[in-house]
Amino acid sequence: MSDQDQDKDPVVHSSLSKPLYFWSALLVLSMVWGLYDEMYGIRPWKSYEARFQKLYARYLANAKVDEVTFEKQIRSAPEYRRLDGATQAAEKAAMPAASAIDKQVNQDLVPKILALNDPFQEVRSHIGSLTYEIEVSKSESRKDSLRKQIVELKNEVHKVRLPDGERPMKFAEMDQQLKDWKNEKATLLQKRVEVMKQADDLRKQRDKYLSDRIPNASADTITAVENSLANFDIRIRQIHIKDVDLVDRCESCHLGTREPVVLTPAAMGGEGVFASHPNKEMLKIHDPEKFGCTPCHGGNGVALSSVEKAHGYNKYWLWPLHHKENIDAGCQQCHAREIVTEMAGGLNDGREIFRLRGCMACHRYEGFDRDADESTSVNQQIRQLDQQKAEWLRDAGFKEQKANNPRTSDADAKKLFSEVNDLKVRSSGIDAKIEQLDMRSASLVREMKKVGPSLKEVRMKLRKEWLPVWLKDPHAWREGTKMPTFRLDDDEIKAIAAFIWQSGVQGAPLPQQKPGDPEKGKEAFETRGCMACHSMGEGAQKQGGTFAANLSREGEKANYDYLVRWVHNPRQRTLPYCAFEKKDLTAEDYQKHGQPFVFDLEHTKCPNDGHELQVQQMTPMPSLRLTEDEARDVASYLMTRKRGNATYQNADYLDDPALKNKGLDKVRFYGCAGCHEIAGLEEEQRIGTELTKEGSKPIERLDFALLGHKAEEEGWETHKGFFEHKLANPAVYDQGKEKAKQDRLKMPNFNLSKPEIDAVTTFLEGSVDASVPARYFYAPPDQRQDIIDGWWVVRKYNCMGCHRVHVAQTTIFDTLPRYQDPDWKDQKPPTLIGEGARVNPEWLMRFLNNPALSETDTNRDGVRQYLRVRMPTFSFSDGEIRKLVRFFEALSSQAQPFIAEKLEPLTDQERTMARQLFTSEGAPCLKCHMTGDPKHDVRATAPNFTVAKERLKPGWTKRWMLDPALMSPGTAMPSGLFRREADRWVFAGPTPASFNGYPKDHAELLVRYMFQFTPDELNRLRAGAGK
Amino acid sequence: MDLHQLWTIVSTPDNVPIVLLLFVVPFYAWYGLRQAFANDRLIAQLEADPAMAKTHHRKIQPFKAGWAREVHVWPYLLRIEFLAAIIVTVILMVWSITLNAPLEEPSNPTLTMNPSKAPWYFLGLQEMLVYFDPWMAGVVMPSLIIVGLMVIPYIDANPLGNGYYTYKQRKFSILTFIFGFIVLWVSMIVIGTLIRGPGWMWFWPGTTWDHNRLIFEVNQDLPDIFGITGRVGKIVFGAAVVGGYFAAAAVLIHKLITKTPFNRKIYARMSVLQYVTMQVFLIIMLALPVKILARQLFRIKYVWVTPWFNI
Repeated sequence: MSDQDQDKDPVVHSSLSKPLYFWSALLVLSMVWGLYDEMYGIRPWKSYEARFQKLYARYLANAKVDEVTFEKQIRSAPEYRRLDGATQAAEKAAMPAASAIDKQVNQDLVPKILALNDPFQEVRSHIGSLTYEIEVSKSESRKDSLRKQIVELKNEVHKVRLPDGERPMKFAEMDQQLKDWKNEKATLLQKRVEVMKQADDLRKQRDKYLSDRIPNASADTITAVENSLANFDIRIRQIHIKDVDLVDRCESCHLGTREPVVLTPAAMGGEGVFASHPNKEMLKIHDPEKFGCTPCHGGNGVALSSVEKAHGYNKYWLWPLHHKENIDAGCQQCHAREIVTEMAGGLNDGREIFRLRGCMACHRYEGFDRDADESTSVNQQIRQLDQQKAEWLRDAGFKEQKANNPRTSDADAKKLFSEVNDLKVRSSGIDAKIEQLDMRSASLVREMKKVGPSLKEVRMKLRKEWLPVWLKDPHAWREGTKMPTFRLDDDEIKAIAAFIWQSGVQGAPLPQQKPGDPEKGKEAFETRGCMACHSMGEGAQKQGGTFAANLSREGEKANYDYLVRWVHNPRQRTLPYCAFEKKDLTAEDYQKHGQPFVFDLEHTKCPNDGHELQVQQMTPMPSLRLTEDEARDVASYLMTRKRGNATYQNADYLDDPALKNKGLDKVRFYGCAGCHEIAGLEEEQRIGTELTKEGSKPIERLDFALLGHKAEEEGWETHKGFFEHKLANPAVYDQGKEKAKQDRLKMPNFNLSKPEIDAVTTFLEGSVDASVPARYFYAPPDQRQDIIDGWWVVRKYNCMGCHRVHVAQTTIFDTLPRYQDPDWKDQKPPTLIGEGARVNPEWLMRFLNNPALSETDTNRDGVRQYLRVRMPTFSFSDGEIRKLVRFFEALSSQAQPFIAEKLEPLTDQERTMARQLFTSEGAPCLKCHMTGDPKHDVRATAPNFTVAKERLKPGWTKRWMLDPALMSPGTAMPSGLFRREADRWVFAGPTPASFNGYPKDHAELLVRYMFQFTPDELNRLRAGAGK
Repeated sequence: MDLHQLWTIVSTPDNVPIVLLLFVVPFYAWYGLRQAFANDRLIAQLEADPAMAKTHHRKIQPFKAGWAREVHVWPYLLRIEFLAAIIVTVILMVWSITLNAPLEEPSNPTLTMNPSKAPWYFLGLQEMLVYFDPWMAGVVMPSLIIVGLMVIPYIDANPLGNGYYTYKQRKFSILTFIFGFIVLWVSMIVIGTLIRGPGWMWFWPGTTWDHNRLIFEVNQDLPDIFGITGRVGKIVFGAAVVGGYFAAAAVLIHKLITKTPFNRKIYARMSVLQYVTMQVFLIIMLALPVKILARQLFRIKYVWVTPWFNI
C-alpha cells in the first residue's frame, strides 16, 4: 500500500466488493446446500426408491427370460397343447355367432341407446324438478299449475335424432323404447356368454393347468409388475391406520416387502433392504394394512431422515427395532397370554425357559404361574358368592316378615312372596356355582407344581454329605441343571444345608428294599420313556430330554429305598400338607379323629378342619405304572450311576441346631421356597421384581450401576443390552460396587447359553405396555382360546417329549440312538397331530385319566400294548383333562360338544364281505394290528380293532385308511389300499368273490365293519385268518 | 479425562450456542474495548490540540487529517450492514442444515430427566436457585433485574459517550456492565450448561457425569453456625447481618464511585434519589457473588432465616 492509500479514509474509499462477492457466493452455495439437503440430504429414501426401481427392473427382466423358457416347457406338454388346441377350436367355432352378437350390440343397439338417452334424461329431470316444486310449494293453485305443466311436458312431442333418422316421440314412448333396447342388449349379451361358455371353460382349465405348475410369479404377473414399475414414482409410501393413529413409512425404503414377486437379497444385488418379507404366511395373518409394521417390529415408523432414526436406534426413541435374534419379541405384547405362539419359536423358547427354569418362581409375571393365581381367585369367588347368598337369604327373610305383617295389603304381600321365592331360586343357582368352584379349587391343589423337588423329603431321599457340595455349585456337579448357582460363601452353605436338613419331615421309616437288577433297570430306563424328560450321560455322551434332571450321578446322592418309592410313584408323599393350618399332618392328626392315616387322591380332606390337602408331591413327574420289581430294577440302575472318584466330606454339622436359624434367614433371603417345597416356608412370597412390563420400564430405572457409562459408550445402554448382560452374569451390575453381602444382587447364575439368553431377552424385550389398543390383543372368542389354554398343560407335563403335537416339531425319541434303528421306529410314541379328529373326546378323557384303560391290569398301555414305551399316569386334575381334550379338539377344528356320527348298520352279507376282505391276502390287517392273542401280539405294531369303536371317529378312520402316509409320514400302515373308481373308493388289491357287483364304497364298508366290531367278531376273524 | 463425556456435552445441539458464547463474548468484549481505547487516545489528542478539535470533531479511530468529518449512511454504513446481514444469513443457514432441533423422547410425567435443565437463557436463573430461596431466586431477583435494567437511563447522569466507543468517559458504566453481565450472568449460564451434571452436582469439564455419584455436603444456616436457636433470635441476627452487609457494601460502592475526579463530577450531578436507587441495585447485584462465595467456601445455606422468606 502506498502512503497515499494510507491517507485515504477506509470507510469511504475501501472497496467491499471482494468480501461482498465472497460472502454472496457462500450465501448462494449455502442455499444450494439447503435445497439439496431438503430434497435429498434429509430424504435418503429417495435414493433407495431410485435404486429399487433400477434393480427390480433388472431382476424382473432376467426372471422373465427364465420364466418364459420355463413356461414354454409347460406349454409344450401334450396335455397343455391338447387343452390349448381345444380352447382355440372352441373359440373358433363360437366366434361367428359371438361376433354377430357383438356387431348387433355395438353397431346397432348401443348408438341407439346413447342417442335416445340424453333427450330422455332431459325431460325426466325437468319433470323431477317440477315434482319437487309441487312438494314444497304451499299454495294449491300453484301446485295445480305445476301439475298442468308436467302434463304438458309429458305430452310434448320431442324430435329425437336417432342413427336411422329423426323421430317424433313423447316422453312415455321414449321411456318404453329405451327400456326395450336395454333389455334387448342384456339378452344378447347373455346369449353371447352362452355361446362362448365352452371356450371359456376350456380356457380356464388351460390357465389352471399352467398356474398349477408355476411355483413362482408367472410371466404374466412379471409383465404386469414391469408395467407398473414403468409408472413407478418416487414418493413416500406409508401405511396409515387411522383408529390406532399409526403411520408407518417403512415401505418407502423396504419396497420389496409385499411385492408379488419374491425378492431375495441376492436377487436385488445384495441389498437386503429390498428383500420381500420372509414370512408371507405371517403377513396374511397380520395384514400390514391393519397392523402396520412397527407394532410388531418396533422402530420409528414415521422417521425417514436416516436409517438409524427410522429403526429407532437413536437415543431417545423408546421402541427400537427388534434385532434379528429377538425378532419374535414383537409378538408378546398381543400374545401375552400364551406359552406357545405359532411361528414365534424364539419367543416360545424364552417363555419356556422362564417357566421351566424357575424365573417365575422369583419374578411375578402376569399369566405365568396360573394355577396359584387361579386358586386365589377361585377362593375369593367362593367367599363372595357365599356372602351374596347369605345376603339374599336375609333379604328373603325380611320380605317374608313384611309380607306376613297384617298391615301389608294382600296385593303387596303376594308380590313380596313371589319376590321371596325368586330370591330363593336364585340363591340355589349360587349353590351350583359354588359347587363348581369347590371342585375347581380341589383340582387346583393338584395342578400346582413346583419347579424344584420338595425339600421336605431330604432326610429320606438324600445323602447328607452331598448337600453342601451341591449348594456350592450345582452346575459343576450336574451340568445344565435347572438349579442355578448362588454366590454363597462357605458359612452360608453350611447354614443353608443345615436348615434344609433339619427342616426335612420325618415320616414312617421307609421299607427296606431288596436290590434289583441294574441291567434290567437300564433297559427299562431307556425304553419305558424316562428319557423323554431325563437325560443320562455327561458331556458329549449326554442323551435324552432336558425337561428334567440329568441322572448321570444319581447314585452319589440318593438313598436307594427312597428312590424305589419315587420311581414306583413319584407323587407319593411322606406327609400330607394342610394349607389351612399351614403344617404337614402326621399320623397323630388322623389318630386324634379316629381316622386311618391314609391320604391319596381319594382321601384328600384334612381330618382336623376338612380343607383340601396337598396329598401329592408337587412334581409334574408321572407314574409309569411300573411293578415294584421294575421300580427296584430302575432304582438299582440309577444307584450305579456315579463317578467312581467322587468323595464327599463329612457333614455332621448339618445336625447342628445352632445353624438352623441362621440357615432359615438365608433360605428366606435367597428365595429358595420359590422353587422348592420347604417345611414352614410354604407361603413365602416372590423375592424378585415383577417382569410383566419389564420391556417398557424406563431405561433410567434399569440400574446399570457403575457400568452405565461403559454401556453407553459400547452401545448397550438399552433394554436388550441390560437383559443380556444380566442373564449372562447376574452379578454384573455389582461390578466395582462397594456393598455389604446382604445388599448385593441376589439373582443366581443360570449358566444360560447364548441362544438361551437370546430367547429370554426376546421374551423380556417383548414384555411391554402394548402400543396398540387392547382390541388388537389375541383373545379369540372361539376354539382358539382352548388351544391357548391347552398349550400350558402340554408344556407343563412335557407332552412334546414323547409326542409330536404340532408340525415341525421333533420329540426326544427322534434323537435317541436306539430309536434310529428301523426295527425300533414303530416303537416311538404315536404322533398327536390330528388327534382331535381321530379320537372320540369322551374316550380321550377316559384315556388321559387312566392310560391303562383298566382298573386291574395297570401294567400296560391301554391302546398300544405292543409299545415298550408307555403313556404314564399323570394324575391330571379334571380341569387339566378338560383343557387337554378341548385343546386337541380345537387343533383339529372339531365341533363341541361331540355328537357321534350315526353309521348305517351292516347287513349280514356285508359283514361276511368285510370279514373276508380283512383276512384276504391283499389286506393283511391282522398282521400288524393286535388281536388279543398274546402269541400274535408280541409282533404286533398297531392297535386292536376292538377299541376302534370307542376310540376313533369314523370320518377320520376312513381318511386314514385311504392315505395314512399323508397324515403320518413314515407310518407302517400302507398307503394306496384303495383306488378311486367313479365316485367311490374300491379296494386296490384282489377282492374276494363276494365283492362282485357290490355297488357301495369299500372303504366305507370297512369303517362300518370296524365300528360295529365285537369281541365275538374278533374271534371269528382270528379263526378266519388262521385258516 | 473423559473426552467422550466432554464431547457429548459440547456437541449437544442445545449447548452449541453456549460453547460459541464462550468464545464470542470475550472476543467482542475485547474488540469493543480495543476500539474504545483507540478512541480514547484520539479524544486525548483532540483535547491536547484545540486547532485540530475545531476542524475535526470525528472521535473515532482510525483518523487522519483531511478525512471527512461525517460520511453518508448510504452507501458507507448500509453496505457494511448489508455484508454483515449476508454473513449472518450464511451462518444461520449452515447452522440450521447441520444441527437439528434437539428433540428427545415423549415426556413422561412420572419420570423427570436428570439433570433437568431450563433453556440456556434461563440457566442463570436456575443456577441462582442453588444459592437462594426459590422465592428470592425465582421471583424477587428476576424482577429486580428487569426493573434495574429499566432504571438505568434514569440514573445515568453521565452525558458523554453517545455514538462512539469510549472507555475513559464511561469507565464506571462499562465495568459495572462487565461485572453484571459477563461475570455474573454469562458465567452462570456457562456453569449451568457445561458444569452442572446429574443431581445438579458440580462436575468439572472432562469428568464423567456419573448418576451414581454421591457427595457429602452439609449446608448450614448462618445463625446455626453461631448457635442461635430461637426464632426471634434468628430473625434479629439475620437482619443484623444483612443490614451490616448493606452498610458495608454501600460504603465500598461509594468509595469506588468517588475514586476518580471524573466520577466525582458525575456523582455531583446525581440527585439523592438517583444515587440511592443506584446504590440499592448495585448492593443487591453484589449480593449474588457474595452469597455464591459464602455457599461455596463456607457452606452457608441462608443468612437470614424467617418464617416468611430466607436470604
